[in-house]
Order: sequence, then C-alpha cells, then structure tokens
Amino acid sequence: MDGFSKYLAQRLFQFFLVLFLGISLTFLITKLSPVDPVEQSVSLMTSFGATDPRAVELMREALAELYGLQGSLFEQYINFWSRIIVGDFGPSLSSFPTPVMSLIMAALPWTVGLLLQALIISWCLGNLLGALAGYYRSNMLLKLSGALVMALHPVPAYIIGLVLLLLFGFIWPILPISGGAQMNLPPSFSFDYIRSLILHGTLPALTLVLGGIGSWFISMRSLASNIVTDDHVVYAELAGVSSGKIFSQYVARNALLPQLTGLALSLGGVFGGAVITEFVYNYPGVGRLLIQGIYRGDYSLVLGVTTISIVAVAVAVLIIDLLYPLIDPRVRLG
Amino acid sequence: MTTLLELDHINKDYRIRGFLDRSTLHAVKDVSFSLEVEKPEIFTIVGESGSGKTTTARMILGNETPTSGHLRFMGEDVAAIRSRAERLKFMARVQPIFQNPFEAFNPLTTLDYFLFATAKRFLGLKDQANIEAATDRALNHVGLSLAEVRGRYSHELSGGQLQRIAVARALIPEPKLIVADEPVSMVDASLRMSIVNLFRDLRDTLGVSIIYITHDLSTAYYISDRVIIMHRGDVVEAGDAKTVLGHPQHAYSRALREAVLPPDPVAARRIIAQRMASAKAAEARQPG
Repeated sequence: MDGFSKYLAQRLFQFFLVLFLGISLTFLITKLSPVDPVEQSVSLMTSFGATDPRAVELMREALAELYGLQGSLFEQYINFWSRIIVGDFGPSLSSFPTPVMSLIMAALPWTVGLLLQALIISWCLGNLLGALAGYYRSNMLLKLSGALVMALHPVPAYIIGLVLLLLFGFIWPILPISGGAQMNLPPSFSFDYIRSLILHGTLPALTLVLGGIGSWFISMRSLASNIVTDDHVVYAELAGVSSGKIFSQYVARNALLPQLTGLALSLGGVFGGAVITEFVYNYPGVGRLLIQGIYRGDYSLVLGVTTISIVAVAVAVLIIDLLYPLIDPRVRLG
Repeated sequence: MTTLLELDHINKDYRIRGFLDRSTLHAVKDVSFSLEVEKPEIFTIVGESGSGKTTTARMILGNETPTSGHLRFMGEDVAAIRSRAERLKFMARVQPIFQNPFEAFNPLTTLDYFLFATAKRFLGLKDQANIEAATDRALNHVGLSLAEVRGRYSHELSGGQLQRIAVARALIPEPKLIVADEPVSMVDASLRMSIVNLFRDLRDTLGVSIIYITHDLSTAYYISDRVIIMHRGDVVEAGDAKTVLGHPQHAYSRALREAVLPPDPVAARRIIAQRMASAKAAEARQPG
C-alpha cells in the first residue's frame, strides 16, 4: 500500500470512529433526559377528557413503537442505528407526524445560505485585515480597525443581535427584523422574492460577521506577526523583494495554513445552525429548530439536528485533511 | 589599504514607550572597528543576549539605522541606501546568515527556487544554464551539489544541511563580507565544527571576510582572527583573538571565560575543591 492509500485508510477509520462515538453519545444523552415523550403525548391527548385506561395503555404501546422506544436500551440502540443509516430519524414528536428529516431539510437551506455567506465574509475580511495588521505593524488605520474588531470580539451574539435589531428595526427602521423572507411572497426566482431574502438576511448576517470576524483577525494577526520575524522574511526584505510580494508569498501564505483548518471546522459547523442569532431574528433555520426541539422535549428532532451537525463537521475535517497535502508541502505524503 | 567596512562611533538607542513611563535603551554604545579589503579575516563579536551584538549585525546589514555615528561599507554610508537598485548592489557584496536554519527558507517552496532567485537577483543572470552553474558552484563550496538540493523542501533536510545551503545562498553573489549571526547555535554540536571550518575555508579560498557573532567562546577562540567582547552595548575588550580570549583583562570577559566548561572533569573537580578551600579560608579570616 502506498503512502496515500495508507493515510486515506487511516483517516477513513478515524472518520467512522468519530461518527460512531459522537452519535452514540448523543443517543445516550437524550436517553438521560427526564422528559418522557410517550407520557408527554399521552397527557396531551388525554387532557381533553377522561379516556378508557385500556385505550390509554394501547396508545402508550403504539406510541412507544412509533418512537422506537420499545425493548431494552440496547435493543433501542440497535434499532436507532438501523434507521439512522438510511437517514431516518423518525417522526418529530412536537410536529407529529412530520418526519424529522423533512423538518431539517426545510430549515437547512436557510441556515446554510445565511451562515455560509457570513462565514466566508468574516473569514476573508478577518484574515485579510489580520495579515495586514501583522505585517504593517505601524499603520495607524490598521491599528484602529484592529482595536475596533477586538472590542467587538468578546460581545456575545445576542447583544450584537439586539443592538442591531434596535438600530435598524426601530430607531432607523430600514430593514426587516424577523423571518427569512416576506410572508406573503411565494418562493420563486422573482426579483421581489430575492430582494426580500437579501433584506431579511442582512441583519442576521451582519450579526454573525461582526461576531465572527474577531477570532479570525486575532489569530491571523498573531500568526502573521510571528512569520514577519522569521529569518526567510528578513532575508527577503534585505534582498529588496517588494513588500507586496513578501506580504502575499511569504507572510500571508504561511499564516493562512492553520486558518484553512479553522475554516473547514467552521464550515462543518454551518450545518448546526447559529442558535442565538436565528432565535433573535426568528430566522427559520436549523438553530431555531433545535431550540424548538429542546423546549418541547422533542428529542428525535434534537438527535436529528445533532447527528447532521456531527456528520457535517466530520466530513469537513476529512475533506480538509485530504486536501492539506496539496496546500502544504510539509504534509505531502510519499 | 582599502577599508571594507568601517564602524565609526556607532550608537543605537531604542525608545521604550510604556503605559506611563518612557525610557531609552542604549542597545549599542560607541562601537568602532574596521575591516580591510586586502586582509580577509574572521572578526568575531562575542556577547550574551542583550549585549547589542545582533543589533550591531542588523546595522551592518542596513536593517537598522544607527542613532549616531557612521557605518560605511566600501566608503558608502549604509544608512543612505534607499532605492531598490542600491539595496541589491549592497546585498550582492554583503550577505547575511541567520541563526535558525529551519527558518532560513520559506517552507512552502523548494530550495532551488530561492537559490536560483538569488543568482538572478544579485548576479543579474538570465540564462537558466548560467544560473544553475552559479548555484552549483556555490553549493560545491559548502560540500553539496545542485543535484542533492534540486526539488527539495526545507523540511526534508537536516539543520546542518540547511545551514550549509544558507551559506551557499550567501556565497552565490560572491560577496566580500558575510555577516553570520549565531550561525551554529541551533546546529547539532557534532556538525558545529564543520560549519565553523567552512568559514575558515571561505576566508582562505574565496577571500571573504566574515563577521561571526556568537556567545560561544570555544568556537570563537578556534576560528577568530580578531574579536570584540560586548556587554550591555559596550565593547569591553577588543583585539587579537588569542590575546583577548587567552588573557582577558576586563572583569566581564574573565567571567565569560570562567563560565566555559572545562574539557577535563577531573581538573574541574580539582579547581572547584581549590576554590571552596580558599572560600573557607576567607571565611575563617573574617569570623562573624
């Protein structure tokens, strides 16, 4: 076996191990929840009046079967895996009988569209500003923007979200503050619908960008300022290599490598939704779905969202690991 | 005699701006020495960290500007070098070698690229065959060849090999002066002597003068023609290497010399025993 297939086999093994452990752990955690979904449904259905106890007992059994809660914990676990492999998370308990998968599939495009944009914008901006600030350390404008970004960095998303919501929703009401698109417009490729999509997405995206840019900026700046003092950069400076070339070929290129790993991890995270931001703006994404699932004790839904998120992160890491040899000669495999 | 390099009462101050206080750090104080073209030599600057030896090297390379004093290379003021063309002309005659061989080359590109770029940049070569010939010639001086280096990345080679390649890069422009800042402190002890001997060869065969900056007295003693000892920015002792390092006069240079580990542990134990005996005797003389 040559170097690459050995590496690939190793990485695939790791990938499946992570999936197995992550999903198993999530399954066990939901089982530890004090909320019994069968009892919840039964009490919901019997709250309208007295029901025959025998009918209630039958209903319990039917629900337990439907929810996949029959038998011992181990039997449930096996049953759970046999369904999850074909992508079936069972019906949602809170929006019964809609399957969890179709709820997630409806929310996923919203979340991915919003988070992907926000992530790419904040990654590019943060890295560009960070690398520039690390290289041109005495530039006043960069120092100022650095201070601004650092000041925003520790502010939690809900504060940024609420401040933007107040600013652009009430004080200067130019942007919609709730939902993913205008309610009365049917989804289509019309100008009006796309315009409403963009307007509705602006504030949540801005919240995510302002909150996310700081960590990229800070890590990039420290990476870049470390590389600036490396001997090969000093040599290039002494040898009269233009500062633009030193910036792009020496500093930025070397500093970007760890940031790419970070980007891949965050790309995987996109599928888990931005819980707080989506909640603040009532955005119909996966994050809001997760909150809804937790509030209503709908653990099929929680399990579904978590599993999708675990798979997405693991896939993203696998892809970046396989791509890394193309970017960095030091991990090229022979 | 033509003066190759002349440091004329060089001072370098750094302003330290704290939150409340401002102070000045005198990194280099009134350093003067000169090297001659006709007499290539290994000129060593010895000192601990913070002694100002690296700052001096950076000023010689034109990376830092002296606060006062003149630093002339072949009669030109180094601080006056501004344009790219002047910079290239200067660097073709003065080349640096750095401490960390693993940082000496950008890790993302193959080493031959940098060697070829150096040949193109400083020798103005255009033809690939000439570029490769110049590179190979420089690598031969350090005991390597282009065939061994072609297509390799810096992580594929050892520290000793990389430092040799860094020396080869410095040799490509056929410089008159090489400024080597701690060139062996990150190389394995077993390979250290081979690099140091290489400097001696370069001096004798190519007529290159070398400013060798180090904290290591044993290699300094071994290869230097002249030496200055720096301590907190001051030159505390200067002169012929064997005299300065063999019979140091200044208290600091004597302390430095005594800090060198003796090659013979038995003798070392005897010396320590003697010192302890004399310390006890001194104590006995002054009771209480």
